Amino acid sequence: MGASNKPSIKSVLLRHETILFAVLAVEWIFFDAIGHNFGTYDTSCDILRHSCEIGLLALAMTPIILTGGIDLSVGSLLGLCAILFGKFWRDAGMTIPVAAVCTVGVGALAGGLNASLISWLRLPPLIVTLGTYSLFRGLAEAITHGVDTFTDFPASFLFLGQNRWLGIPAQALVFFAAVIFFWLLVHRTTFGRSFRAIGFSPEGARYAGIPVGRRVAMVYVLAGIVSAIAAIIYTARLGQAKADAGTGYELFAITAVVLGGTSIFGGVGSIHGTLLGVAAIAVLHSGIAHALLPGEMAGMLTGVLLILALAGSILPKTISGLRARKAAFKIPKQTA
Amino acid sequence: MKLIIQKLPVFLLIAGLAGLTGCNKSAESPTTGGNNTPTPAAKQLTIAFLPKSKGNAYFVSCAKGAQKAADELGDKLIIDGPTDPDPARQNEIVENWITLGVDVIAASCENKEGISTALRKAEAKGIKVVTYDADALPDARSFFMNQATSQGIGYALMDEAARLCESNGEFAVITGSLTAGNQVAWRQFVEERRAAAYPNMKCDAVEACDDLKDKAQSETTALLSTYPNVKLILSTTSLGVPGAAEAIKQAGKTGVVKNIGLGLPNENKRYVHDGVTQGVILWKTADLGYLTVYAADALAKGTLKSGDKTFKAGSLGTFDIQGDNIMLGKPFTFNKDNIDQFDF
Repeated sequence: MGASNKPSIKSVLLRHETILFAVLAVEWIFFDAIGHNFGTYDTSCDILRHSCEIGLLALAMTPIILTGGIDLSVGSLLGLCAILFGKFWRDAGMTIPVAAVCTVGVGALAGGLNASLISWLRLPPLIVTLGTYSLFRGLAEAITHGVDTFTDFPASFLFLGQNRWLGIPAQALVFFAAVIFFWLLVHRTTFGRSFRAIGFSPEGARYAGIPVGRRVAMVYVLAGIVSAIAAIIYTARLGQAKADAGTGYELFAITAVVLGGTSIFGGVGSIHGTLLGVAAIAVLHSGIAHALLPGEMAGMLTGVLLILALAGSILPKTISGLRARKAAFKIPKQTA
Repeated sequence: MKLIIQKLPVFLLIAGLAGLTGCNKSAESPTTGGNNTPTPAAKQLTIAFLPKSKGNAYFVSCAKGAQKAADELGDKLIIDGPTDPDPARQNEIVENWITLGVDVIAASCENKEGISTALRKAEAKGIKVVTYDADALPDARSFFMNQATSQGIGYALMDEAARLCESNGEFAVITGSLTAGNQVAWRQFVEERRAAAYPNMKCDAVEACDDLKDKAQSETTALLSTYPNVKLILSTTSLGVPGAAEAIKQAGKTGVVKNIGLGLPNENKRYVHDGVTQGVILWKTADLGYLTVYAADALAKGTLKSGDKTFKAGSLGTFDIQGDNIMLGKPFTFNKDNIDQFDF
C-alpha cells in the first residue's frame, strides 16, 4: 500500500486519525492550562502506566473488530489470569517467569475456547464471548471464593508494574512491543488484509481463498494471550491479584477501538487509530483528576468525546455526499 | 513532500506519543501542591481525602466532617474516590494525587495490600499519609484513625442490651457470619462483657444471617418461636437489625422483644420511630472525617509525631493515641431521641 494511492492534503486532514489527533492535542492543551502539574513527565508516565492494560486489550480487540467480531471476555479473562498467576506462584510454588509462561498458556487456551466456538461451531462472537465473559469471571470467583487475594510478590516482579527502566515505565516496553507487533500484523502483512476482507464480507473472503476459519481463530487466540499479559502487568502494577481484576475493561477497550475509527461492523480500522483512542481516553481521565474535577465527569466526557470524534469524521463525508446528491438533482433541472 | 503528506498520520502519531511520554515542562515542585494554586497563601495545605466509594452515605457523612475540619483549618480539601468500591481505581486516584502534588493523603482502603504500594510511593515523594475507617499496611501510613475497637463495639452492644433488659433475662444474637474475623471478635467481647458484668443474662442462640436482610428476618422469626422467653435480639451486623425488626413487627411483638445491633441510622430510622428497634450502635462518621483531617493537617505541620500519646482535634477535644492508632473513642448509640440528626 502507500506508493500507489496519493491522498490529497484535504483527505488526509479529514481522516479520522487526524481529527482524533487534533482532539487529543486540544485535550492536552486544555488540561495543561487548567490542571495542576498536568504537563509534567511524571504525569505522562502515570498516564502511560494506567493505560497499558486497557491499551493491550484494545490492541488485541482491533483485529477482532476488523473481522466484524467482538470479544467481551477479555476483562474477565484478565481477572482469571491474574488469580491463576497468583495461584501458580504462591500455591504451586512456581518461580515468577514460569508462572507467567503458564498464565500466558492459560490465556491462549481460553482464547482458543472462544476461537473454536466462533470459527468451527460458527456461533456468533457476541454470544460466545458473552458466555465466556461470565464463565471466566465465575471461574476466577470460584477459585478464590471471592475473598482470596494474592499479594507479597517479590520486588523484582513489582518492578514491571511500578518502576521505570531507562526513564520510562517498565510495562510500557511490553506495551510498545505489542504495538509494533499488532501494527505490523494489521498493516504490513497479508493477515491484516485478510482481516479487513473478512470484515467486509466473510463469504467473499472465503471465495477469494482466504482461510476464514483459521484467520478468525487466530485473532481470538491472540486476544487470550494478550489478556494474560495484561493480567500479569495489572498484578505487578497493583501488587495484588484478586478475582475482580479488570472488571469492565472490555468496554473501555471497545470504546478505545471505536473511538480510534475502527468500524464496529468490521473491515475498516487501524492500530494507530486505536492508540489515539486509548490516549484520548487516558488523557481525559488523568486530566480530570489533575484539574480537580469530579471523577464521574470522565465517563460522561468519554461519551461526548466518542460521539464528537465519530461525528467529526463522518459529517464531512455525509455533507459532501448530500452536496453530490443535490448537484445530481440540479443537472436534470438545468437541462430541462 | 508527497511522502510527508502520505505519512502525515504516522508523523502525527509519533509526535503524539512523544508528547505523551516526553516532558512539556519539568515538574513544578511536585511535593508542595498547595503552592501551585494561584493564591500565594504559603501555609495552605492540600489534603486529599479518599473514601472507599464516593456515593456511599457512610462516606458522604465522613466527608462532611472532613470538609468542616478543612474549613476551620483553612486547608484545601480534595475529595475523590471510586463510584463503586474498586481497588484498582483507588490506586489510580492516589497516583494522580502524587503527580498533582498534594501535601497529605487520607485514605480508607478497599484493599490494604493493593493500595499500600501506591501509598508507599506517595510517602517516598514526601507526601504524608494517614488512613481512616479501613487501614492500609502499617508501613504505608503514619497514623490510622481507629473508629472503634472490637472490644469497644462488643462492650457497647452488651451494655445497651443489658440496659434495655434491666440486666436480667434471655437474648439471642444474629451475626453476619459464624467465621468472619470481625464478627467472631465482636461476639467474643459481647460474651466477655456478659460473663463479667451481667451474669443474670443468658444468650440462648447465635444464628448467622449471611449478611442478608431476608435471612436475618427468617432466622429471627424462627428464634422467636423456638425461644419464647427471648427479650432482646442483638445483631452484630448492620443487615441484621432491619431484618430482625421486620420479624418482630410481623410477629406482633413490637416493644415486647427489644431489638438492637450495629447499624446505620438511615436504614433503621423507620423501625426506631415505630418502637420496634430501640437503638443502633455505630460511631459518628462525621467525627471520624473531622478527626482524620485534623490529624492530616497536624502531621503535615509537624505538630503530630509518632510517639505522641494524645491528639487534640479542634472542637472535638482530645483523643487517645495507642501506638500509631488515633482512637475515635466509644461507639455512639443512635436512638429515637437523636437518630433524626444523622443522615447516613
